[in-house]
Amino acid sequence: MDSLSAVRAWAAPLALALLAVAAAAVVLSTGPLAAPPDALITALFGEGPPDAELALALRGPRLLAAMGCGAALAGAGAGFQILFRNPLASPDLLGVTSGAGFGAALALLLGAGAVLVQGAAFAGGLATGAVAVACAALTRSGDGRLALILCGIVAGALASAGLGLVVIAAEPYSQLPSITYWLLGSFTRATAGEAALALVPVGFGAAILLGLGFRLDVLSLGDEQARSLGLRARPLRLMALGSAALMTSSAVSVAGIVGWIGLLAPHAARRMVGERAGRLIPASMALGALFALLIDRLSTAFGPAELPVGLLAAAVGAPAFLALFVATSRRA
Amino acid sequence: MSALVLDALVAGRRARSGAGFRLPPLTAAFEAGQVVALIGPNGVGKTTLLKTLAGLLPPLGGHFERPRAVAWLPPPGAVSAGFSALHLAALGRAARRRWSPGLTPGDVEAARAALARLDVADLAERPFDRLSSGQQQLVLIARLFVQDAPVCLLDEPLALLDPAHAQAVERAIRALAAEGRIVVASSHHLPFAARADRVLAIGLDWIEASPAAQALAPNRVRALFGVETTGCPCCGQALS
Repeated sequence: MDSLSAVRAWAAPLALALLAVAAAAVVLSTGPLAAPPDALITALFGEGPPDAELALALRGPRLLAAMGCGAALAGAGAGFQILFRNPLASPDLLGVTSGAGFGAALALLLGAGAVLVQGAAFAGGLATGAVAVACAALTRSGDGRLALILCGIVAGALASAGLGLVVIAAEPYSQLPSITYWLLGSFTRATAGEAALALVPVGFGAAILLGLGFRLDVLSLGDEQARSLGLRARPLRLMALGSAALMTSSAVSVAGIVGWIGLLAPHAARRMVGERAGRLIPASMALGALFALLIDRLSTAFGPAELPVGLLAAAVGAPAFLALFVATSRRA
Repeated sequence: MSALVLDALVAGRRARSGAGFRLPPLTAAFEAGQVVALIGPNGVGKTTLLKTLAGLLPPLGGHFERPRAVAWLPPPGAVSAGFSALHLAALGRAARRRWSPGLTPGDVEAARAALARLDVADLAERPFDRLSSGQQQLVLIARLFVQDAPVCLLDEPLALLDPAHAQAVERAIRALAAEGRIVVASSHHLPFAARADRVLAIGLDWIEASPAAQALAPNRVRALFGVETTGCPCCGQALS
């Protein structure tokens, strides 16, 4: 009976992950430069037909960036939602997204190259998250969750103000369009190297969140419960917050500001696998990868001019979130 | 053998404004297997004393010796969790899993056994948030069995409960102590205190540990709550 329920516990996240991989194969075998799935597999593991190799080389990085960013945002969103016991918590909770936007815009203003912009976004996001955590540490309110939320809003607002200044200072005909376009989000920027560069911190953060496992459930009960259950609540909470901020920062540094995935995917996953962190985080990551992949496919579906991914994610994500919310509240 | 020894312990809350307070120093020793009832009017510092003993608040003076592992429960309704009652009970083993990301089947089995022991096995798969206060309290006490700490500190474990659940919780508290643990539980339900092994009474400027019969004599109850009664000031039940 227990082994059966253990199988069930892993079946849903695993099925979702397989679904995301299958969707990636479908996306690569349709549209421009399409190659059949079996050719893609042989190309992936060695010598394949030239058209499949070309499809992998040209479309692979973008696909990888989309799925990696989607998984990172969804995993971070799920982590924040568990830690704060708050269904409204999103990857932006600590102001990380605004901070990353500020960093990238500043680098674009100073005329930096693509890699430097990515690095500035990553650093800006992490710095903003660190400011939020440090400010919260100054307060003494209960177990500190409310302080973190408020300080995240403060740090994010400061970063947004900085972003506004950069936008005003930017040269309107050359710099402003590139800043605006960056902020609207896109997976097309990523070269293979840049995507790989961002996926390392994503993987690192995800490994920590998954390794924390049931400890996230204990932390969700509050610091006093966690401590009386024998866990060191503060360092564990910092580790979890840091991992989620790391994942968000690297996703935003590659893709720009793409909202809603980090909010929608955990909610959808919760309906399928329940609240336990050990199942919710992998299931959210798989769903986030799938959602980002489909959004990216959709962005190229309307003619030669691509729609910004950030806009599409909101346009699809917001109504989907509402539908999910209505369905969940009616079932309850 | 494990014991809880308090030596002129001063519990309280430090605050820069006038909101802080100190309890009088308390010297007492509690043996393994004892149920200790903590009584006193609202706002006198029962919760603060329990949190100090649990290590959640620093003592303001004196010191105390206790086993390293101490379990603490807030009042009914204070814990909220969306996952199953079984998982919540199994989290009692959290401190024993140093590195693995999951609990072991043995932990889950222990949780299932503890729930069955308190006659709430049928709640195992239900989300904890969907249970009644009484059911939640029984699940949390099942977690105390799973956690297996030598000292259990319970804040108002009988509050909000109907008589049947209150009886079930009191039986569970007695079972926790019968296995050699020290259980300290605060309560306004004086019949519970009357059945305890020791009573720790906190008044406005005094604190005292004594046997139940002595602590619940009419003049002591009057000194505590300012009411003239031969029974429990809350429910009128006889105290002997």
